[in-house]
Amino acid sequence: MMSLTTTTHDRPDPKLADTHTRVHHLKHPSWWIGGAVVILLIAAFLNLLFTNENMKWDVVGDYLFDPEIIHGLGVTIQLTVLAMVIGLTLGVILAIMRLSRNPLFAAVSWIWIWFFRGVPPLVQMIFWFNLATLIPQVKLGVPFTELNLAVWDMNTLMTSFSAAILGLALTESAYAAEMIRAGIMAVPQGQVEAASALGIPSAKVMMKIVLPQALRIVIPPIGNDLISMLKFTSLVSVLATPDLLYSAQMIYSRTYQTIPLLLVATLWYLVLTTIFTLAQQMVERKIHNQPLLNVDRLKFLPIGPRKVVS
Amino acid sequence: MNWPLLKADNIHKQFGSNLVLRGVDLEVRAGEVQCVIGPSGSGKSTLLRCLNLLERPDEGYVYLDGEPVGYSWFGDDLREMKPVALARQRERMGMVFQSFNLFGHLTVLENVTLAPRLINGTKDAVANEEARELLRAVGLTDKAEHKPAQLSGGQQQRVAIARALAMRPEVMLFDEPTSALDPELVGEVLDVMRKLADDGMTMVIVTHEMTFAQEVADKVVFMDGGVIVESGTPNEVFKESIHPRTTSFLARVL
Repeated sequence: MMSLTTTTHDRPDPKLADTHTRVHHLKHPSWWIGGAVVILLIAAFLNLLFTNENMKWDVVGDYLFDPEIIHGLGVTIQLTVLAMVIGLTLGVILAIMRLSRNPLFAAVSWIWIWFFRGVPPLVQMIFWFNLATLIPQVKLGVPFTELNLAVWDMNTLMTSFSAAILGLALTESAYAAEMIRAGIMAVPQGQVEAASALGIPSAKVMMKIVLPQALRIVIPPIGNDLISMLKFTSLVSVLATPDLLYSAQMIYSRTYQTIPLLLVATLWYLVLTTIFTLAQQMVERKIHNQPLLNVDRLKFLPIGPRKVVS
Repeated sequence: MNWPLLKADNIHKQFGSNLVLRGVDLEVRAGEVQCVIGPSGSGKSTLLRCLNLLERPDEGYVYLDGEPVGYSWFGDDLREMKPVALARQRERMGMVFQSFNLFGHLTVLENVTLAPRLINGTKDAVANEEARELLRAVGLTDKAEHKPAQLSGGQQQRVAIARALAMRPEVMLFDEPTSALDPELVGEVLDVMRKLADDGMTMVIVTHEMTFAQEVADKVVFMDGGVIVESGTPNEVFKESIHPRTTSFLARVL
């Protein structure tokens, strides 16, 4: 007779492991070989960094807190923050226009984004700086008459600083508009309907329901943009705006200490980037209502796993 | 004067080439509970959304307490209202959605207080006090500081009811309020709705909960293919109907 179940009477009991059983784990030789190669490369790099005399770390130290450098650092921060604030404000307006039912608003926003995303910020800056050639004077008056309430000279208005701000802010506005538009569209339409059904006017629905959630969604990419912006500010050195890079250039054009002063600038850019990155993470964590440092989760890099915005 | 609190007159609505409502009349008297039943795609939800003009009817008008919704009389003509005036009418009609639609970035308490604070300028302390009363009524006193994502579907829907009630509406519109819920969570939401009905709230409920409709409704409206096939007391529709479309629908769902 065939049996559907196997009988086990004629076999010894199978072995069971317990807490005293020794386990031989798999060896990973490639892990160790790869690690050794990387450590060698790092050592070679550090050797270059600290033994190459042209690096002149003592000169770097001398100029790291030089008043001219610190002033340049201030200008860089000002440019970054101002351009970012203006860019984001314009970005919100452009995003709302782009989603407007009015085709004229949507089209104007589309063209704006197309233009300012298409023209390099450096080209824009030079263009804005030379605007006086095109429009020598700004007049506030009655259109189509000679009546002027006020007249400004374009050359006094368009300093290298304001040209730089314009170039950076307008470029940012185009990128921010697209991100914020994506954020707005990610807010469930049902919430807008619920708010309308409650009798909340549409402008307040946008301000209190849609934008707060849209901006939470776009904080990571905006943080990214902030760091890009910081680096893009170095373009203003072509307009002789005394930012961090230009201040360093000014010094090495006198002292010929090119590499050490570029290192000074590099170190400061890295310091700022680090601060911005940490700030961005703090904001993100605050939004997700999580403790600032979750030691369990942060084992290697201070970047936690992606959290879905609810 | 025995004018209904809410009246829909000959409502037509079309999405593209799809005729969703083909001339629907509805009269809801103050204190009445009406349940709208019918197969999917029969136009029940669209009818409900036309009542507070979330969808604007292509033809026909809705009257709230005798006044056209979304329009004002200008002699014998109707003039389309400004959005702010329409918003003032909408706040008199609370609405509860199938998918809850709570504001995700706000706490439960803030969800309930937002509209009174924004629209009526109610002081925070007063709004919070009232909101806590409402949360107690729907059995969620302990969830005031939670975010919607931390709640179960049934709890979210009860918050949504409290949020709608915070504007002290004259009529409540329910759009399949339990259809998105796990079966064991349906009861808690229906309980709240039953209490609301016992309190004398005027309600229009689009629902698939036939037992609930039989128990609570003063009037049941059966829709199919964009028209009201028949309406009457629960007994008339559920027990005595001889209309073939009604009987075949009820045979499938009961």
